[in-house]
Amino acid sequence: MNNKTSKLPQTIMFVAVIGFLIFTAVISICVGQYSISPEEIAQIITGGLKGEMSYKVFFTLRLPRVLMAVMAGIGLGIAGSVYQTIFKNPLASPDIIGVAPGANLGAAIAIVFMGASTVAMVSGAFTGGIAVVILVMLLVRVLPGNTTATYVLAGIVMSSVSKAFIMILKFFADPANELAAIEFWTMGSFASVTSRKVITIFPIFFFSLAGLILLRRQIELMSLNEDECRMLGVRLSQIRITILALSTLMVASIISITGLISFIGLIAPHIARMMLKRNNFAATAMSGLIGAVVMVISDTLARCVYSAEIPISILTTFIGVPVLVYFMYQQKENLL
Amino acid sequence: MSVLFEVQNAYVSYGSTEIVHGVSLSLERGELCAFLGLNGSGKTTLLRAVCGLIPMNGQVFVDGRSLKEMNERERARHLSFIPQTSSPIQGKTVMEVILMGANPYLGLLESPKGEHYRAAKTALKRLEIGDFADRHFHQLSQGQKQLVILARTLVQNSPVMLMDEPDSALDFCNRHMVLEKIRSVVKSEGKAGLITLHDPNFAMAYCDRLLLLKKGIVIAEADMRTAAEDEVREKLSMIYGKIELFSYTGGYLMGKSQ
Repeated sequence: MNNKTSKLPQTIMFVAVIGFLIFTAVISICVGQYSISPEEIAQIITGGLKGEMSYKVFFTLRLPRVLMAVMAGIGLGIAGSVYQTIFKNPLASPDIIGVAPGANLGAAIAIVFMGASTVAMVSGAFTGGIAVVILVMLLVRVLPGNTTATYVLAGIVMSSVSKAFIMILKFFADPANELAAIEFWTMGSFASVTSRKVITIFPIFFFSLAGLILLRRQIELMSLNEDECRMLGVRLSQIRITILALSTLMVASIISITGLISFIGLIAPHIARMMLKRNNFAATAMSGLIGAVVMVISDTLARCVYSAEIPISILTTFIGVPVLVYFMYQQKENLL
Repeated sequence: MSVLFEVQNAYVSYGSTEIVHGVSLSLERGELCAFLGLNGSGKTTLLRAVCGLIPMNGQVFVDGRSLKEMNERERARHLSFIPQTSSPIQGKTVMEVILMGANPYLGLLESPKGEHYRAAKTALKRLEIGDFADRHFHQLSQGQKQLVILARTLVQNSPVMLMDEPDSALDFCNRHMVLEKIRSVVKSEGKAGLITLHDPNFAMAYCDRLLLLKKGIVIAEADMRTAAEDEVREKLSMIYGKIELFSYTGGYLMGKSQ
């Protein structure tokens, strides 16, 4: 067996994946009810075609949407990888500590009580996600143990409570409009993305992403047992709260716009690890890129395989599964 | 010789049950000391408490400074810990694992620099595993893994080294190899080493002093550099019951008698 690190240099893989991401993003911009050609994109970027239809479609529809898909993929992929590392659990995904059910509850409240306006739904989902994670952290504080497992358990508890409240709302919701809207939100979509929404969440997304990248060494240290980690000088309780807060902000900012997107946060980290045959921060970064590629492809298909838009979670699952199975089949050793 | 490491009146409880009832000890520079005791005697509990991983009453001093005033980061510069087996580390190179030892010297957002890489390479060479740097940690044998963890401790470069049965997952030859390296590091770098061991024969072969722990107190202490055979036999039997002690070139071997 090859004992040395992977022969194909990591840089080549990164360049290849980034190249492929750009390629899929360009295709994604071209495809839709009104198609734009790559030449037109080049002209628009260099300042031409002002006032024409393709110009408007490019800036008001496609660009924000593709940027949002890339951001969502990077965010969910990286958050998933960070969660799997610090919870030492290959099944951990970004919603493990309750951010997704919380956002879901917030969106449901906005739909039922606040007339489902865009502002209400985005801010409802965002506050809901953050609020539930804060409750999880408060619950951990009052419980005797302060280990990572306590966070998982508290997360499960608060998720279940959120889901129960969602059920109450669904039970009383008007089936034709409100119930359908709540259900549709849980399947995720990029259809309602506007440049204003993207610009609003970008600072939060960027701040939390930058924070996680800067804390990369601490995240890697947290893959060790808690005792070992503390004996290497990691101030565990503070670092853990910081990392959870940053990733929660990132995930909440994304899903408040897109609704729930399943599976990316779970599979992208595995694909990245199997590709690089490593489990370090490079794999976390790769996980973000893989997430972005799968997301952009899924969103492109979402708007062109059927006359109506297909919810994104259906496609992320159908595209993610074969890729994951392929890499599982290829891999010779378990990397987490 | 100067006292480098001191524990004063350590009392440790799990909930309402007190496990360690007032242990005091001190170690000099370049001294390797073994904690011996049966299962449940409080060895591991005491060690973890001294590390600050579980709360305790009492004081711990390294070089005259109390550990209680330090946060994790500062403590890690004074005290290192080698567990029975290291965490399952997957998909990382030996170099990446060893560089984790530089954490207490790096700012929160800082990455290891040239000097840390040099320290890591020196540590690998010191333990004669210089060619391991690029290998995957999880593909190493248990003995090699413990050497890598020892190398990480060298990069951590703390004056006091605590070890909790670092040999427990190793075979006979690897046990000798790892303990020999631990002893040589403690001696040459002038560190104070406190190690818990199950096998008194290994403790007698590699440690300067034996601290015998029973029911949460140190019931006896034997300095292997000066103690006579009868004294060693008498003290070991306080823990292990009826024993035979044989002397051979350079040491003793203990056996259980019926």
